Amino acid sequence: MKSEKFQKTFFLTKFSFKRDWLKLSIWSVVLIGLFVGVAAKFNGLYGSKAAIDQIIKTLKSPAMVSLFGKMPNGPYTSADVFASEMTVFMAIIAAIMNYYFIIHNTRGEEESGILEMIQAHAVGRLSNLTAALLESFILNFGIGLIYAVGLQFANLTGTNANGNFLLGLGLGAVGFMFASIAAVIAQLTDNSRTATILSYLVFGIMYIGRMITDVSHPKYTWFIPMGWVEKLSTYKNNNWIPVFMMLGLSVILVTLAFYLNSHRDIGSGLIATRPGRAKASAFLRGPISLFWRLNRVSIIVWFLGIMILGATYGSVFNTIGDILKTNPMLKQLLNTKAINAANVLIIKEFIAILMIVFAALALIPGLSLINYLKTGETKGYLEIIHSTRTSRTKLYFSLFGIATITSIAVLFAGIYGLYAGGNAVMNHHIAMSVFMRGFYGYLSPLLVMLGISAFLIGWLPKLTSLNYGYLVLAFFVQYFGKLLKLPDWTEKITPFGFIKHVPVSNFDVATFWWQIAIAVILVIIGYIGYRRRDLIIN
Amino acid sequence: MLNTNIPTLHVDHLQKNFGKFQALKNITFDIYPGEVFGFIGPNGAGKSTTIRTILGILRASGGKATIFGKDVFKDAVDIHKRIAYVPGDVYLWPNLTGGEIIDLLLKLGHSHHTRRTSQLIELFQLDPTKKARTYSKGNRQKVALIAAFSTDADFYIFDEPTSGLDPLNEEVFQNEVLKLKEAGKSVLLSSHILSEVEKMCDRIGIIKNGEVVETGSLDEMRHLTRTVIKVKTQLPTPELETLPGVHNAVMGNNQTLTLSVDSEYLENTMSYLSQKQIISIQATPPTLEDLFMRYYGSTNEVDRREK
Repeated sequence: MKSEKFQKTFFLTKFSFKRDWLKLSIWSVVLIGLFVGVAAKFNGLYGSKAAIDQIIKTLKSPAMVSLFGKMPNGPYTSADVFASEMTVFMAIIAAIMNYYFIIHNTRGEEESGILEMIQAHAVGRLSNLTAALLESFILNFGIGLIYAVGLQFANLTGTNANGNFLLGLGLGAVGFMFASIAAVIAQLTDNSRTATILSYLVFGIMYIGRMITDVSHPKYTWFIPMGWVEKLSTYKNNNWIPVFMMLGLSVILVTLAFYLNSHRDIGSGLIATRPGRAKASAFLRGPISLFWRLNRVSIIVWFLGIMILGATYGSVFNTIGDILKTNPMLKQLLNTKAINAANVLIIKEFIAILMIVFAALALIPGLSLINYLKTGETKGYLEIIHSTRTSRTKLYFSLFGIATITSIAVLFAGIYGLYAGGNAVMNHHIAMSVFMRGFYGYLSPLLVMLGISAFLIGWLPKLTSLNYGYLVLAFFVQYFGKLLKLPDWTEKITPFGFIKHVPVSNFDVATFWWQIAIAVILVIIGYIGYRRRDLIIN
Repeated sequence: MLNTNIPTLHVDHLQKNFGKFQALKNITFDIYPGEVFGFIGPNGAGKSTTIRTILGILRASGGKATIFGKDVFKDAVDIHKRIAYVPGDVYLWPNLTGGEIIDLLLKLGHSHHTRRTSQLIELFQLDPTKKARTYSKGNRQKVALIAAFSTDADFYIFDEPTSGLDPLNEEVFQNEVLKLKEAGKSVLLSSHILSEVEKMCDRIGIIKNGEVVETGSLDEMRHLTRTVIKVKTQLPTPELETLPGVHNAVMGNNQTLTLSVDSEYLENTMSYLSQKQIISIQATPPTLEDLFMRYYGSTNEVDRREK
């Protein structure tokens, strides 16, 4: 690029790849492994006509539509089933990946002062932003191409080259679209935390938008950029228009990001940081209130966000819990009472699937809070606290406590949202106690997961992020286990596999107690390690 | 009166290993009440590691360190009730204001915002309403310094506290340390700004590659090194170079001779020179920089030669 503004862009892009290679490799390997691995199993899973018919019936139910998107019209092959199960899910993971890289490499670099150092050299104003976007472009379409080639090799029944490349590149395009959304938002705020929160807010609104439109009026999903990926109609119509729409929107957003970037000063955002109080409030007085003060915005956003998500899922209960809609014949066979019971059962089954979604989402802020013992330590924020009379014991248990309360509160918010949203639309209310069965059931695995992080912080502080990977694995196994017919033992590799199928089944007290015992042991062992080890600074 | 025989800080053969790397090999020194102790050495010599070990942030691999007679790791919380610390790199929570952080740090030490705190904010000219993310390095240091100075502790530890301060603030810092000293407090000041150490510290410890190679007052240390003498004599001094303890004798313009003399041979040299009818003489005691260079300059020369 010749323009002054883009000097050294390619050099910075190359440098970005060198700097990020490990993270890029891990993300790529996990995404490709997941996608291609599932594809490779699919002929075996859904090869027969009977198996396909059965899964299609499930996927066409409103509950599944709200999770995976609307199915195109039949007849169906293994490839169709694959495309409808994987598309939305892979798009969500792509969003997480791109948000992380873009915000970290643009606003994050600026915040840490690295950009200032780079920009002092013969480097263009827009070079760093462009380099970050180029890196993400190459990453998304690189992964997309490998998806396509992987699908060629998996050779699903009903597959074709056009569809394989459409799905692969379509997922690449949706990833890059999220990258450009983050690039714009990173220009608005003056710190990466707020940029991340705002980006996920945009994501959440789009997700809820596509869910509501999918269930009620699929036509309107066209209005939601995140929904475009569903409109690919892979293997059925092979519609390339959404890919171009996503690329078009990306171009507009990138141009906007460039415009905003060249019209602001380094280190500043359009949303300025306001001055604050000259003295601390009486409330801010110790580690617990400090951690609350530092994280209150994100905790409240999580709490309300998950509650809204729950309410939105709940608002489709009347569609889901209406078996007469999908099967009017039943009216002659069953009496009203039996039909109601069947409806309630379907809803309970749906809640059981949603439970893992809420539990995984509730764990994200919890794990990030408890990991602050390590991240705050390596970044140096806790050094000055460690030099005060605040003991390690107090810090450890304060953060563990806040993390636990946050996770439990967020889980409850999701369930309460579900309850409120569901009963607002249903004629036959489901009692709160049914929802609470799900809540109680998931408490113990939640605590085991937090306990694992506490243990890692005490003994293997370098590996704390490993627990996020374990959470993703747990989510994948619980969410897709049935659909992908994973072997039974896979369920038992995470604490979530041991609790009963709540709220369909009753809450199992025995499991609750032994899992709580494990969590307590993990926390205590972690504490012993944390108390005696060196703190890592820089 | 304070009992000056019991050290506030006692460090005895302290060692710290990070894996195979020996960061601290042998750290030994004491700090007494009412004393400002200068801890000098270049980057990477082990200053911050020593400080973090005596704060109980790192666990010693060998040796012993006590503050107020208590073990620095086991009794860290007890000790921390009576100390104030300013780290070398001050990291502050970006979304809190400087004022909030100062108050929080005070409250963590069971103290609170007093008139003195406000006075210090004024003296250091800090705007406490700004979010920490907008502060420069110097301003972040000021936040930690204000919190430390308005804490009523017995032992103050400063790790390169003035590296980001402007000269005006540096003076405020020096005055405040002086007040602490007058009040009988102990101060550990790690620095590589030698003029600051020379001006403020009663005793000095020089650390090199994880070892304290020298401790003592500046005067005591001066005995260890050479005095530079500029002399003009009536008679020639041909034997001068052969005298024991005389180094680098150079004849400058105006017949002025410059030479360095080891402290123990000073008398001997002077009597020789006086026989040669001195016209003018000027003796410069070694500065801390000379002392420092004596320990560090030599290895650098060796390094250079090896390359």
